[in-house]
Amino acid sequence: MKKNIPLAIVMIGGLVWVLWVFIPHKILSEDFINNFYLPWIYVQAPFGVILGVMSLVMMHTAKIQRKAPKWQFSFFALGGLLITCIAGFGWGTQNGSPMMWMFTNMQMPMSSTMFALLAFYIASAAYKAFRARSPEATVLLLAAIVVMLAQVPLGLKVSKHLPDISQWILDVPNNAAKRGILLGIGLGGVATSLKILLGIERSYLGGGE
Amino acid sequence: MNFFEKLQALDRRYIYIVVALAIIIPLMVQYNSDVVTTPPTENLYQLIDSYAGRSDRAILISFYHDAATMPELYPMEIAILRHCFERKVKVFTMTFYAAGAPIIDFAINTVKEEYPDIQSGVDYCNFGYKIMPMITALGMGDNIATAIDTDAEGRKLANLPIMKDIVNYNEMNLIIETSGSSAGGTWITYARSKFGANVAVGVTAVMAADMYPYLQSGQLIGMLTGLKGAAEYEKLVDVFAAYRDENFPQGRPFSNEILRDPSINKLINITTQTQAVFSPQEYQAFLSKYPEQAVSLDNLKEDKDGQVVFDVTKISAEQQQELGYNAWTALNKKTYNILYKFKTARIGMNAQSIAHIMIFVFILIGNIGYFVTRKKDKKV
Repeated sequence: MKKNIPLAIVMIGGLVWVLWVFIPHKILSEDFINNFYLPWIYVQAPFGVILGVMSLVMMHTAKIQRKAPKWQFSFFALGGLLITCIAGFGWGTQNGSPMMWMFTNMQMPMSSTMFALLAFYIASAAYKAFRARSPEATVLLLAAIVVMLAQVPLGLKVSKHLPDISQWILDVPNNAAKRGILLGIGLGGVATSLKILLGIERSYLGGGE
Repeated sequence: MNFFEKLQALDRRYIYIVVALAIIIPLMVQYNSDVVTTPPTENLYQLIDSYAGRSDRAILISFYHDAATMPELYPMEIAILRHCFERKVKVFTMTFYAAGAPIIDFAINTVKEEYPDIQSGVDYCNFGYKIMPMITALGMGDNIATAIDTDAEGRKLANLPIMKDIVNYNEMNLIIETSGSSAGGTWITYARSKFGANVAVGVTAVMAADMYPYLQSGQLIGMLTGLKGAAEYEKLVDVFAAYRDENFPQGRPFSNEILRDPSINKLINITTQTQAVFSPQEYQAFLSKYPEQAVSLDNLKEDKDGQVVFDVTKISAEQQQELGYNAWTALNKKTYNILYKFKTARIGMNAQSIAHIMIFVFILIGNIGYFVTRKKDKKV
């Protein structure tokens, strides 16, 4: 019973989607899926928020109590959560609100700074590690240089053919590799989904079997 | 340790300093450079432009990112919003990412400052943060007002004037997902394959390679690739949507011939433009529009090489008042000076040009050092 009921729920829930894709009928797609089935999924979201907040608070509180390494930073995480909640619930998120002020003056510059660090790491890695050690590495190096230069206006001044060569690299070898990966992921996803639907794959039920 | 060995062991901090300077200097010292537009950008521009002035067509921009990827994605969003506001295209915005909600407000408010006639609920509508992408994408295929219910300001969607003639993807026929991931796949899977909606993406440059298969297969009708895509779109908006003359009082349609015409260079200069230049005929036409300001304008003009020239920096506050808001704005517009917020991607591209060249030089020097050292080691 403990296993059969969850297995039946998963099978029926999954099969509904399969039917929805293959039988485009009004009763199934509109009356059942859109009006009855989908609204149930919204129930997940509030539970997700509660779970997330609880998990964050419990983890950082425990860290502070145990005086774990770098426990002082947990005060910032909890403080950030509290202040953001007060600002959002108290004054909303419209232009001119404290929330928007924090977003434009704190979150935006800090997040952008973190992302911008990538440029420094790329330049450093390009200098220290991007070597033509083998024929494969040389091809990769040349492709990277062509695509990189073709992306910027100065590249056109180097050669007017650079954008065409770059586009060919992106359209042919890049797409071939990407399609191979996507097909592999897709087939793997279908196989795993079928195993779950047919009750062959049961590891999600837990129990260590 | 010889020169090449020293090069191999160069401290990272020197590289960081060079990169910082290569980026900061071009950002501060602007120069004009042309960005060649590509078909994925042009296709997206043309589809949006085809909805101009139509009450039964709209686009949806989904902001699926946080502040970290703003430097690349935000200029795209600004350029697309500006295009929509210039050409009166109904635009909806939303996000499935909680941190994306303030970015929508920030983007709309930034563009709206220049378009006082544009109204929320009439010309644009922000759905705000919504959960569950799959359900929302599917629900909108049936009925947008039912799937979304209320907008970010808590107004019932069905009651808003913008919803007149808009029901589902048949009318809101273009979805643009701006993200630093391959999240655009959600729209391809649910909105395109099930309902036939047009889907386009604006992605960070590192994610572009992932989206090329969809672009080549036609599942994406267009794609803006990183800062370059944003710069291309900014240029198209300047050349076509924001262009005004006697024949095209509401902007002009896209044309490859115009893009190749050198005369557009004056429309896309990103350095500060201070001179309004008129041919004698253009000046007469301008005077006929503002006959009461004719004396003031004649006093302010200069004649240079048979052209009538106004240097707007030399016009004092009192003289501006004398001209009146409309004439002064029209004169300013004739300088073709582009506001900073509408050219950030192109300024960024200048910095990126230098940075890319710099990285290329680093790779070259690093490899020269590597080969010389390896040759020496082999000899030993």
